[in-house]
Amino acid sequence: MNPRYVWVRQLAAFAVLLVIWEAAGRADLLNPMYAPSPSRIAAVLVDLFGSGRIWLHLEATFTAALVGLALGILTGILLGVLAALLPLVEELLEPVMTLLNAIPRVILAPLFFIWLGIGIASKIALAFILVAVLMFFTVFTGIRQVDRRLVERVVTLGGGRWALVRHVYLPSVAAWVLGNLKVAVGFAFTGAVVGEFVAASRGLGYLLSFAQSTYNSALMFALVLLIMVVVLVIFAVAGRLEKYLLRWN
Amino acid sequence: MLRVSNLTISYGGEPVLEGASLAVERGQFVSLVGPSGSGKSSLLRAVVGLQQPLTGTVEREIALSDVAILFQDDALLPWKTARDNVALGLTLNGMRLRQALEQADRWLERLGLGGFGHRFPQHLSSGQRKRVALAQVLARAPKLLLMDEPFASLDAIVRARIIQDVAALVEREHISVLLVTHDLEEAISLSEHIYLLSRGPRAHLTQDYSVPLPRPRDPVRARMHAAFAPLYEKIWNDLSYEVDRRR
Repeated sequence: MNPRYVWVRQLAAFAVLLVIWEAAGRADLLNPMYAPSPSRIAAVLVDLFGSGRIWLHLEATFTAALVGLALGILTGILLGVLAALLPLVEELLEPVMTLLNAIPRVILAPLFFIWLGIGIASKIALAFILVAVLMFFTVFTGIRQVDRRLVERVVTLGGGRWALVRHVYLPSVAAWVLGNLKVAVGFAFTGAVVGEFVAASRGLGYLLSFAQSTYNSALMFALVLLIMVVVLVIFAVAGRLEKYLLRWN
Repeated sequence: MLRVSNLTISYGGEPVLEGASLAVERGQFVSLVGPSGSGKSSLLRAVVGLQQPLTGTVEREIALSDVAILFQDDALLPWKTARDNVALGLTLNGMRLRQALEQADRWLERLGLGGFGHRFPQHLSSGQRKRVALAQVLARAPKLLLMDEPFASLDAIVRARIIQDVAALVEREHISVLLVTHDLEEAISLSEHIYLLSRGPRAHLTQDYSVPLPRPRDPVRARMHAAFAPLYEKIWNDLSYEVDRRR
Protein backbone atom coordinates (compact mmCIF):
# COMPACT_ATOMS: atom_id res chain seq x y z
CA MET A 1 0.00 0.00 0.00
CA ASN A 2 1.22 3.44 -0.91
CA PRO A 3 2.09 5.31 2.31
CA ARG A 4 1.36 8.64 0.56
CA TYR A 5 -2.37 7.92 0.61
CA VAL A 6 -2.60 6.82 4.23
CA TRP A 7 -4.82 9.83 5.09
CA VAL A 8 -7.23 8.88 2.26
CA ARG A 9 -7.58 5.38 3.70
CA GLN A 10 -8.06 6.77 7.22
CA LEU A 11 -10.72 9.20 5.99
CA ALA A 12 -12.50 6.43 4.06
CA ALA A 13 -12.51 4.17 7.15
CA PHE A 14 -13.96 7.00 9.23
CA ALA A 15 -16.66 7.62 6.60
CA VAL A 16 -17.59 3.92 6.62
CA LEU A 17 -17.82 4.02 10.43
CA LEU A 18 -20.12 7.08 10.24
CA VAL A 19 -22.36 5.38 7.67
CA ILE A 20 -22.66 2.22 9.84
CA TRP A 21 -23.31 4.36 12.92
CA GLU A 22 -25.99 6.40 11.09
CA ALA A 23 -27.63 3.27 9.67
CA ALA A 24 -27.68 1.60 13.10
CA GLY A 25 -29.28 4.72 14.57
CA ARG A 26 -31.96 4.89 11.90
CA ALA A 27 -32.70 1.16 12.35
CA ASP A 28 -33.29 1.83 16.09
CA LEU A 29 -30.36 -0.42 17.01
CA LEU A 30 -28.81 2.40 19.12
CA ASN A 31 -30.48 4.20 21.98
CA PRO A 32 -30.28 7.94 21.05
CA MET A 33 -29.98 8.79 24.73
CA TYR A 34 -26.59 7.06 24.84
CA ALA A 35 -25.42 7.22 21.24
CA PRO A 36 -27.25 9.75 19.05
CA SER A 37 -26.75 9.32 15.32
CA PRO A 38 -24.14 11.44 13.48
CA SER A 39 -26.90 13.40 11.69
CA ARG A 40 -28.41 14.46 15.05
CA ILE A 41 -24.98 15.54 16.33
CA ALA A 42 -24.43 17.47 13.10
CA ALA A 43 -27.86 19.13 13.49
CA VAL A 44 -26.93 20.27 17.02
CA LEU A 45 -23.66 21.70 15.71
CA VAL A 46 -25.45 23.54 12.91
CA ASP A 47 -27.91 24.94 15.44
CA LEU A 48 -25.14 26.04 17.81
CA PHE A 49 -23.32 27.92 15.05
CA GLY A 50 -26.45 29.01 13.18
CA SER A 51 -28.04 30.63 16.20
CA GLY A 52 -24.68 32.15 17.19
CA ARG A 53 -25.00 30.80 20.73
CA ILE A 54 -21.67 28.98 20.56
CA TRP A 55 -19.45 32.04 20.05
CA LEU A 56 -19.85 33.33 23.60
CA HIS A 57 -18.79 29.94 24.97
CA LEU A 58 -15.95 29.45 22.49
CA GLU A 59 -14.60 32.89 23.33
CA ALA A 60 -14.69 32.16 27.06
CA THR A 61 -12.91 28.80 26.74
CA PHE A 62 -10.35 30.08 24.24
CA THR A 63 -9.53 33.14 26.33
CA ALA A 64 -9.08 31.12 29.51
CA ALA A 65 -7.00 28.40 27.77
CA LEU A 66 -4.76 30.72 25.73
CA VAL A 67 -4.12 33.23 28.51
CA GLY A 68 -3.39 30.33 30.91
CA LEU A 69 -1.16 28.73 28.26
CA ALA A 70 0.85 31.92 27.63
CA LEU A 71 1.26 32.74 31.32
CA GLY A 72 2.08 29.12 32.14
CA ILE A 73 4.75 28.86 29.45
CA LEU A 74 6.40 32.16 30.42
CA THR A 75 6.33 31.43 34.15
CA GLY A 76 7.45 27.81 33.69
CA ILE A 77 10.41 28.86 31.54
CA LEU A 78 11.42 31.68 33.91
CA LEU A 79 11.24 29.51 37.04
CA GLY A 80 12.90 26.57 35.27
CA VAL A 81 15.85 28.73 34.18
CA LEU A 82 16.21 30.28 37.65
CA ALA A 83 16.02 26.91 39.43
CA ALA A 84 18.54 25.33 37.07
CA LEU A 85 21.04 28.18 37.45
CA LEU A 86 20.58 29.29 41.08
CA PRO A 87 20.91 26.54 43.74
CA LEU A 88 18.89 28.54 46.30
CA VAL A 89 15.92 28.84 43.93
CA GLU A 90 16.20 25.12 43.15
CA GLU A 91 16.20 24.25 46.86
CA LEU A 92 13.03 26.25 47.47
CA LEU A 93 11.14 25.55 44.26
CA GLU A 94 11.90 21.98 43.26
CA PRO A 95 10.05 20.26 46.19
CA VAL A 96 6.96 22.44 45.61
CA MET A 97 6.94 21.71 41.88
CA THR A 98 7.52 17.99 42.49
CA LEU A 99 4.52 17.96 44.81
CA LEU A 100 2.38 19.88 42.31
CA ASN A 101 3.51 17.50 39.58
CA ALA A 102 2.66 14.43 41.66
CA ILE A 103 -0.95 15.38 42.38
CA PRO A 104 -3.71 15.60 39.75
CA ARG A 105 -3.70 19.39 39.57
CA VAL A 106 -7.32 19.64 38.46
CA ILE A 107 -8.26 19.00 42.13
CA LEU A 108 -7.26 22.64 42.68
CA ALA A 109 -10.27 23.78 40.61
CA PRO A 110 -12.66 24.19 43.59
CA LEU A 111 -9.97 26.10 45.48
CA PHE A 112 -9.45 28.51 42.58
CA PHE A 113 -13.22 28.95 42.39
CA ILE A 114 -13.30 30.00 46.09
CA TRP A 115 -10.28 32.27 45.72
CA LEU A 116 -11.01 33.87 42.35
CA GLY A 117 -14.76 33.50 41.89
CA ILE A 118 -16.95 32.12 39.14
CA GLY A 119 -15.46 34.36 36.42
CA ILE A 120 -12.67 33.66 33.93
CA ALA A 121 -9.82 34.20 36.43
CA SER A 122 -10.34 30.82 38.14
CA LYS A 123 -10.25 29.04 34.73
CA ILE A 124 -7.11 30.88 33.69
CA ALA A 125 -5.53 29.92 37.02
CA LEU A 126 -6.26 26.22 36.50
CA ALA A 127 -4.93 26.25 32.91
CA PHE A 128 -1.91 28.22 34.15
CA ILE A 129 -0.98 25.81 36.95
CA LEU A 130 -1.32 22.78 34.65
CA VAL A 131 0.96 24.33 32.02
CA ALA A 132 3.46 26.08 34.34
CA VAL A 133 4.44 22.88 36.20
CA LEU A 134 4.88 21.00 32.92
CA MET A 135 7.05 23.78 31.48
CA PHE A 136 9.06 24.15 34.69
CA PHE A 137 10.23 20.52 34.54
CA THR A 138 10.75 20.71 30.78
CA VAL A 139 13.11 23.67 31.16
CA PHE A 140 14.69 22.60 34.46
CA THR A 141 15.69 19.15 33.19
CA GLY A 142 16.49 20.54 29.72
CA ILE A 143 19.07 22.99 31.08
CA ARG A 144 20.69 20.28 33.19
CA GLN A 145 21.14 18.14 30.10
CA VAL A 146 22.60 20.91 27.95
CA ASP A 147 25.68 19.87 25.99
CA ARG A 148 28.68 20.86 28.18
CA ARG A 149 30.82 21.36 25.08
CA LEU A 150 28.57 24.22 23.95
CA VAL A 151 28.77 25.81 27.39
CA GLU A 152 32.57 25.62 27.31
CA ARG A 153 32.61 26.97 23.75
CA VAL A 154 30.70 30.12 24.75
CA VAL A 155 32.76 30.53 27.95
CA THR A 156 36.03 30.34 26.00
CA LEU A 157 34.67 32.85 23.48
CA GLY A 158 34.29 35.28 26.36
CA GLY A 159 30.65 34.73 27.32
CA GLY A 160 29.39 35.16 30.87
CA ARG A 161 26.32 33.78 32.63
CA TRP A 162 23.84 35.91 30.67
CA ALA A 163 25.48 34.95 27.37
CA LEU A 164 25.14 31.30 28.34
CA VAL A 165 21.45 31.76 29.10
CA ARG A 166 20.84 33.63 25.85
CA HIS A 167 22.99 31.65 23.43
CA VAL A 168 23.04 28.14 24.93
CA TYR A 169 20.45 27.44 27.60
CA LEU A 170 17.38 29.11 26.10
CA PRO A 171 17.89 27.76 22.54
CA SER A 172 18.64 24.29 23.98
CA VAL A 173 15.45 24.19 25.98
CA ALA A 174 13.46 25.75 23.12
CA ALA A 175 13.53 22.34 21.43
CA TRP A 176 12.17 20.71 24.57
CA VAL A 177 9.55 23.42 25.08
CA LEU A 178 8.38 23.21 21.49
CA GLY A 179 8.32 19.43 21.73
CA ASN A 180 6.01 19.77 24.73
CA LEU A 181 3.93 22.59 23.25
CA LYS A 182 1.22 20.21 22.04
CA VAL A 183 0.97 18.62 25.49
CA ALA A 184 0.80 22.11 27.00
CA VAL A 185 -2.05 23.09 24.63
CA GLY A 186 -3.94 19.99 25.74
CA PHE A 187 -3.30 20.84 29.41
CA ALA A 188 -4.45 24.45 28.92
CA PHE A 189 -7.76 23.37 27.38
CA THR A 190 -8.17 20.71 30.07
CA GLY A 191 -7.71 23.40 32.73
CA ALA A 192 -10.15 25.82 31.08
CA VAL A 193 -12.86 23.22 30.41
CA VAL A 194 -12.59 21.50 33.82
CA GLY A 195 -12.70 24.93 35.50
CA GLU A 196 -15.87 25.77 33.55
CA PHE A 197 -17.28 22.35 34.38
CA VAL A 198 -16.88 23.00 38.12
CA ALA A 199 -18.48 26.44 38.18
CA ALA A 200 -19.12 28.87 35.33
CA SER A 201 -21.81 30.76 33.46
CA ARG A 202 -20.22 30.36 30.01
CA GLY A 203 -17.67 28.27 28.14
CA LEU A 204 -17.57 24.82 26.53
CA GLY A 205 -17.13 23.21 29.97
CA TYR A 206 -20.25 24.98 31.19
CA LEU A 207 -22.16 23.75 28.12
CA LEU A 208 -20.90 20.21 28.76
CA SER A 209 -22.07 20.43 32.35
CA PHE A 210 -25.46 21.67 31.10
CA ALA A 211 -25.67 18.81 28.57
CA GLN A 212 -24.84 16.31 31.30
CA SER A 213 -27.46 17.62 33.73
CA THR A 214 -30.14 17.54 31.01
CA TYR A 215 -29.07 14.12 29.61
CA ASN A 216 -28.54 15.83 26.24
CA SER A 217 -26.05 13.36 24.75
CA ALA A 218 -26.30 14.86 21.23
CA LEU A 219 -25.09 18.21 22.62
CA MET A 220 -22.39 16.40 24.57
CA PHE A 221 -21.12 14.56 21.49
CA ALA A 222 -21.23 17.82 19.50
CA LEU A 223 -19.19 19.64 22.14
CA VAL A 224 -16.61 16.83 22.46
CA LEU A 225 -16.25 16.88 18.67
CA LEU A 226 -15.90 20.66 18.67
CA ILE A 227 -13.22 20.59 21.38
CA MET A 228 -11.33 17.89 19.45
CA VAL A 229 -11.42 19.96 16.25
CA VAL A 230 -10.28 23.10 18.09
CA VAL A 231 -7.35 21.27 19.72
CA LEU A 232 -6.39 19.61 16.41
CA VAL A 233 -6.28 23.02 14.71
CA ILE A 234 -4.06 24.37 17.49
CA PHE A 235 -1.88 21.24 17.26
CA ALA A 236 -1.42 21.90 13.54
CA VAL A 237 -0.40 25.53 14.22
CA ALA A 238 1.97 24.39 17.01
CA GLY A 239 3.44 21.75 14.68
CA ARG A 240 4.15 24.37 12.00
CA LEU A 241 5.71 26.67 14.60
CA GLU A 242 7.89 23.82 15.87
CA LYS A 243 9.02 22.95 12.35
CA TYR A 244 9.95 26.57 11.60
CA LEU A 245 11.70 27.33 14.87
CA LEU A 246 13.62 24.04 14.87
CA ARG A 247 14.60 24.27 11.20
CA TRP A 248 18.27 24.06 12.23
CA ASN A 249 17.70 20.53 13.51
CA MET B 1 53.70 34.75 26.14
CA LEU B 2 52.67 31.67 28.16
CA ARG B 3 54.49 30.00 31.02
CA VAL B 4 53.12 26.91 32.73
CA SER B 5 55.01 26.00 35.89
CA ASN B 6 54.91 22.81 37.89
CA LEU B 7 51.27 22.11 36.96
CA THR B 8 49.53 19.18 38.62
CA ILE B 9 45.99 18.27 37.62
CA SER B 10 43.80 15.76 39.40
CA TYR B 11 40.19 14.67 38.94
CA GLY B 12 39.85 13.59 42.55
CA GLY B 13 42.13 10.56 42.76
CA GLU B 14 45.67 10.11 41.50
CA PRO B 15 46.90 13.14 39.50
CA VAL B 16 46.58 12.67 35.77
CA LEU B 17 49.36 15.18 35.14
CA GLU B 18 52.14 16.03 37.58
CA GLY B 19 54.64 18.89 37.72
CA ALA B 20 54.39 19.94 34.07
CA SER B 21 56.31 23.06 33.03
CA LEU B 22 56.46 24.51 29.54
CA ALA B 23 56.64 27.83 27.76
CA VAL B 24 55.35 29.29 24.51
CA GLU B 25 57.22 32.36 23.31
CA ARG B 26 55.75 35.15 21.21
CA GLY B 27 55.06 33.95 17.66
CA GLN B 28 56.19 30.40 18.48
CA PHE B 29 54.39 27.22 17.37
CA VAL B 30 54.68 24.60 20.11
CA SER B 31 53.24 21.09 20.17
CA LEU B 32 52.53 18.79 23.06
CA VAL B 33 52.50 15.08 22.23
CA GLY B 34 51.98 12.08 24.44
CA PRO B 35 50.04 8.87 24.91
CA SER B 36 46.29 8.91 25.52
CA GLY B 37 45.41 9.77 29.10
CA SER B 38 48.57 11.76 29.72
CA GLY B 39 46.66 14.96 30.53
CA LYS B 40 47.40 16.89 27.32
CA SER B 41 43.88 18.23 27.01
CA SER B 42 43.66 18.90 30.74
CA LEU B 43 46.73 21.12 30.47
CA LEU B 44 45.08 23.19 27.70
CA ARG B 45 41.87 23.43 29.71
CA ALA B 46 43.87 24.71 32.69
CA VAL B 47 45.42 27.44 30.52
CA VAL B 48 41.97 28.87 29.64
CA GLY B 49 40.53 28.37 33.12
CA LEU B 50 38.19 25.47 32.32
CA GLN B 51 40.19 23.23 34.67
CA GLN B 52 41.40 24.19 38.14
CA PRO B 53 44.93 22.79 38.71
CA LEU B 54 45.76 21.10 42.02
CA THR B 55 49.08 22.93 42.17
CA GLY B 56 51.22 25.03 39.87
CA THR B 57 50.72 28.25 37.99
CA VAL B 58 49.70 29.46 34.55
CA GLU B 59 51.21 32.84 33.69
CA ARG B 60 50.13 34.74 30.59
CA GLU B 61 51.55 38.00 29.31
CA ILE B 62 48.21 38.61 27.58
CA ALA B 63 44.58 38.90 28.67
CA LEU B 64 42.40 35.80 28.64
CA SER B 65 40.35 37.43 25.87
CA ASP B 66 43.46 37.24 23.65
CA VAL B 67 43.57 33.46 24.05
CA ALA B 68 41.46 31.27 21.76
CA ILE B 69 40.93 27.54 21.91
CA LEU B 70 39.93 25.13 19.16
CA PHE B 71 38.56 21.84 20.45
CA GLN B 72 38.61 18.43 18.77
CA ASP B 73 34.86 18.63 18.15
CA ASP B 74 33.85 21.86 16.50
CA ALA B 75 31.19 22.59 19.20
CA LEU B 76 29.35 25.09 17.02
CA LEU B 77 25.98 26.25 18.28
CA PRO B 78 23.59 24.15 16.14
CA TRP B 79 20.81 26.78 16.17
CA LYS B 80 23.05 29.51 14.76
CA THR B 81 24.10 29.78 11.13
CA ALA B 82 27.79 29.60 10.23
CA ARG B 83 28.10 33.41 10.09
CA ASP B 84 26.20 33.85 13.36
CA ASN B 85 28.53 31.33 15.02
CA VAL B 86 31.56 33.25 13.79
CA ALA B 87 30.04 36.61 14.74
CA LEU B 88 29.22 35.36 18.25
CA GLY B 89 32.89 35.31 19.26
CA LEU B 90 33.08 38.98 18.27
CA THR B 91 29.84 40.26 19.79
CA LEU B 92 30.67 38.54 23.09
CA ASN B 93 33.76 40.72 23.16
CA GLY B 94 31.88 43.95 22.59
CA MET B 95 31.74 44.33 18.80
CA ARG B 96 28.48 45.62 17.31
CA LEU B 97 26.43 42.96 15.54
CA ARG B 98 26.51 44.52 12.06
CA GLN B 99 30.29 44.90 12.14
CA ALA B 100 30.69 41.38 13.59
CA LEU B 101 28.60 39.88 10.78
CA GLU B 102 30.64 41.72 8.14
CA GLN B 103 33.82 40.42 9.70
CA ALA B 104 32.34 36.91 9.94
CA ASP B 105 31.55 36.99 6.23
CA ARG B 106 35.12 38.04 5.44
CA TRP B 107 36.59 35.22 7.54
CA LEU B 108 34.28 32.61 6.05
CA GLU B 109 35.28 33.84 2.58
CA ARG B 110 38.92 33.66 3.56
CA LEU B 111 38.53 30.07 4.69
CA GLY B 112 36.77 29.04 1.49
CA LEU B 113 33.23 29.16 2.86
CA GLY B 114 31.88 32.13 0.93
CA GLY B 115 28.20 31.41 0.24
CA PHE B 116 27.90 28.97 3.15
CA GLY B 117 27.34 31.60 5.83
CA HIS B 118 23.58 31.09 6.00
CA ARG B 119 23.80 27.33 6.51
CA PHE B 120 23.28 25.73 9.88
CA PRO B 121 26.13 23.47 11.15
CA GLN B 122 24.01 20.37 10.59
CA HIS B 123 23.92 21.25 6.89
CA LEU B 124 27.71 21.48 6.55
CA SER B 125 30.31 18.73 6.09
CA SER B 126 32.72 17.96 8.96
CA GLY B 127 35.50 19.78 7.12
CA GLN B 128 33.30 22.84 6.58
CA ARG B 129 32.27 22.83 10.24
CA LYS B 130 35.91 22.70 11.25
CA ARG B 131 36.61 25.71 9.05
CA VAL B 132 33.71 27.60 10.63
CA ALA B 133 35.11 26.79 14.10
CA LEU B 134 38.51 28.00 12.90
CA ALA B 135 36.99 31.22 11.55
CA GLN B 136 35.21 31.66 14.89
CA VAL B 137 38.46 31.66 16.87
CA LEU B 138 40.67 33.45 14.33
CA ALA B 139 38.16 36.26 13.77
CA ARG B 140 38.79 37.29 17.37
CA ALA B 141 42.43 38.01 16.39
CA PRO B 142 43.89 35.95 19.24
CA LYS B 143 47.51 36.36 20.26
CA LEU B 144 47.67 32.79 21.53
CA LEU B 145 45.81 29.90 19.91
CA LEU B 146 45.38 26.62 21.77
CA MET B 147 44.37 23.63 19.67
CA ASP B 148 43.24 20.32 21.15
CA GLU B 149 43.62 17.67 18.43
CA PRO B 150 41.52 19.87 16.14
CA PHE B 151 42.05 17.86 12.97
CA ALA B 152 41.66 14.34 14.37
CA SER B 153 38.15 13.74 13.04
CA LEU B 154 38.83 14.85 9.46
CA ASP B 155 39.63 12.69 6.44
CA ALA B 156 43.18 12.86 5.04
CA ILE B 157 42.74 15.36 2.19
CA VAL B 158 40.48 17.77 4.08
CA ARG B 159 42.83 17.51 7.01
CA ALA B 160 45.93 18.32 4.94
CA ARG B 161 44.23 21.35 3.36
CA ILE B 162 42.97 22.75 6.65
CA ILE B 163 46.40 22.26 8.25
CA GLN B 164 47.95 24.18 5.36
CA ASP B 165 45.46 27.00 5.84
CA VAL B 166 46.02 27.10 9.59
CA ALA B 167 49.79 27.19 9.15
CA ALA B 168 49.54 30.05 6.66
CA LEU B 169 47.11 32.07 8.78
CA VAL B 170 49.10 31.60 11.98
CA GLU B 171 52.22 32.73 10.16
CA ARG B 172 50.54 35.75 8.60
CA GLU B 173 48.80 36.89 11.79
CA HIS B 174 51.87 36.18 14.01
CA ILE B 175 49.83 34.03 16.36
CA SER B 176 51.53 31.91 19.03
CA VAL B 177 50.21 28.35 19.09
CA LEU B 178 50.14 25.48 21.57
CA LEU B 179 48.93 22.38 19.73
CA VAL B 180 47.96 19.16 21.49
CA THR B 181 48.17 16.17 19.18
CA HIS B 182 48.96 12.49 19.11
CA ASP B 183 50.08 12.78 15.49
CA LEU B 184 53.88 13.11 15.32
CA GLU B 185 53.94 14.08 11.64
CA GLU B 186 51.52 16.89 12.32
CA ALA B 187 53.53 18.07 15.31
CA ILE B 188 56.88 18.09 13.48
CA SER B 189 55.57 19.62 10.26
CA LEU B 190 53.93 22.53 12.08
CA SER B 191 56.00 23.21 15.20
CA GLU B 192 59.24 24.85 16.20
CA HIS B 193 59.29 23.10 19.53
CA ILE B 194 57.76 19.82 20.76
CA TYR B 195 57.17 18.63 24.31
CA LEU B 196 56.71 14.92 25.03
CA LEU B 197 54.51 13.73 27.88
CA SER B 198 54.97 10.37 29.61
CA ARG B 199 52.15 7.90 30.09
CA GLY B 200 49.53 8.81 32.70
CA PRO B 201 48.48 8.79 35.45
CA ARG B 202 51.10 11.05 37.02
CA ALA B 203 52.23 11.94 33.49
CA HIS B 204 55.10 14.40 33.29
CA LEU B 205 57.05 16.13 30.57
CA THR B 206 59.98 13.87 29.75
CA GLN B 207 61.62 15.44 26.70
CA ASP B 208 61.49 18.51 24.55
CA TYR B 209 62.79 18.89 21.01
CA SER B 210 63.63 21.80 18.73
CA VAL B 211 62.44 21.29 15.17
CA PRO B 212 65.24 22.33 12.78
CA LEU B 213 62.94 23.18 9.87
CA PRO B 214 62.82 26.77 8.58
CA ARG B 215 59.70 28.94 8.97
CA PRO B 216 57.51 29.89 7.18
CA ARG B 217 56.92 26.38 5.95
CA ASP B 218 54.36 24.37 4.05
CA PRO B 219 53.34 21.54 6.38
CA VAL B 220 52.97 19.09 3.47
CA ARG B 221 56.38 19.87 1.94
CA ALA B 222 58.01 20.01 5.38
CA ARG B 223 57.70 16.24 5.55
CA MET B 224 60.17 15.96 2.68
CA HIS B 225 62.86 18.02 4.47
CA ALA B 226 66.04 16.08 5.30
CA ALA B 227 65.71 16.79 9.01
CA PHE B 228 62.13 15.48 9.22
CA ALA B 229 62.72 11.70 9.21
CA PRO B 230 65.52 11.58 11.82
CA LEU B 231 63.52 13.77 14.22
CA TYR B 232 60.40 11.70 13.60
CA GLU B 233 62.32 8.52 14.38
CA LYS B 234 63.79 9.95 17.57
CA ILE B 235 60.46 11.20 18.94
CA TRP B 236 58.73 8.00 17.81
CA ASN B 237 61.23 5.90 19.76
CA ASP B 238 60.84 8.08 22.85
CA LEU B 239 57.05 8.00 22.56
CA SER B 240 57.01 4.22 22.05
CA TYR B 241 59.17 3.83 25.14
CA GLU B 242 56.68 5.91 27.13
CA VAL B 243 53.70 3.96 25.81
CA ASP B 244 55.29 0.56 26.52
CA ARG B 245 56.86 1.51 29.83
CA ARG B 246 55.47 -0.41 32.80
CA ARG B 247 54.92 1.73 35.84
